[in-house]
Amino acid sequence: MIAIAQRSFGVLALVALVIAVATFTALLTRRVPSWLPDAALPTATAIAAVATGGSLLLSEVADYTPCTLCWYQRIAMYPLVVILGVAAARGDREVWRMAVPLSAIGSVIAIWHIAIERNPALGGACDPAAPCSIIWVQEFGFLTLPTMALIGFVAIAGLTLAARDR
Amino acid sequence: MSNTPTRKARAQADRQAREQERQAQQRRQRLLLAAGGAVVLLLAVGIGVLSAGESAEREDVPTVEDVAGDPTIEGEGFPPAPEDPADDAVVGESAPVVRGADFDGTEVTIGDPGQPQVIAFMASWCPACDEELPQVVDWVEAGGLPEGVELVSVATNHDRARPNWPPQDWYAEAGFDRPILVDDEESSVAGAFGLTATPFWVAIDEDGQAVGRLTGMIGAEQMTALAEAAAG
Repeated sequence: MIAIAQRSFGVLALVALVIAVATFTALLTRRVPSWLPDAALPTATAIAAVATGGSLLLSEVADYTPCTLCWYQRIAMYPLVVILGVAAARGDREVWRMAVPLSAIGSVIAIWHIAIERNPALGGACDPAAPCSIIWVQEFGFLTLPTMALIGFVAIAGLTLAARDR
Repeated sequence: MSNTPTRKARAQADRQAREQERQAQQRRQRLLLAAGGAVVLLLAVGIGVLSAGESAEREDVPTVEDVAGDPTIEGEGFPPAPEDPADDAVVGESAPVVRGADFDGTEVTIGDPGQPQVIAFMASWCPACDEELPQVVDWVEAGGLPEGVELVSVATNHDRARPNWPPQDWYAEAGFDRPILVDDEESSVAGAFGLTATPFWVAIDEDGQAVGRLTGMIGAEQMTALAEAAAG
């Protein structure tokens, strides 16, 4: 059950990665398709909801203990479900002003977490309760939990920026 | 004239038609988006079911109860190791004497006076231990361990849900061939020596007194320094 969930989250992270790359390419080349601003906020909400649901499933059902950096990323991701959900329902295209800073903070923490996973010496010794260097999930050879979180944050930032571009 | 719509009424009808068309288009877009999301979700779960293989119900893998030892601890335990080893008050204090066994049941003792020891507390799931253990093996093979000093590892902080379980396979894969004392389920031995994190190193001299405790990856140079301190 957990193995299936992990693989499914890996696939969804790959989808989010494609969305993130495509969205930022569209933004940077100033070729945002006409349908994207309308689709952006519901998609961003879905990404935040899947990330939140996934992290809760892995900690509460699979018993993977969240480390300190996991908690900081959660603090950045969880409110995005409500913020983006309300913005999607109301058609608030200015939500990027809240979503982008939260995503940026989450991304920086996720990058540091990935660095510790790749080089455990950066994280120092292992706290017996919840070391940040431990790799609980690694799908397709590179998708660890903070990597998935980073993809989610980047995709959300890109989508909320695309939403204002009408 | 009464049957002919006025220009104003026609314009209003056009606006209403445009608005209805816009709303219908929005509904179509939302439906399309929801359908797309559902397809992506189903596809992801489908791929997960097809490719993830058997779930993690690993009945053939030993439990913590199977692996954990039943060591006895004599003497007063050490307080938790301070961040700065220079502040460590246990230097010169008698270490607890622990009698236990390795994974095969062979007796292993730590802290007993008469045998200088370097004790490496390791948790198989700990990435820092995973990086340090091969360095320990290389250090021993390179002759870093002084004559008369015994290197013992304590397998501790057992957790079946974490990577590199069971620990005996982890030690074997690293080629570690020195005595290993297996801690109990509560990590009592680690607690008795004041472990706060792994890897954790303790050096004990011939009189059974602590000469130093270090936490974290220490590298070959510090391993040698610790072992030489134990040798006196």
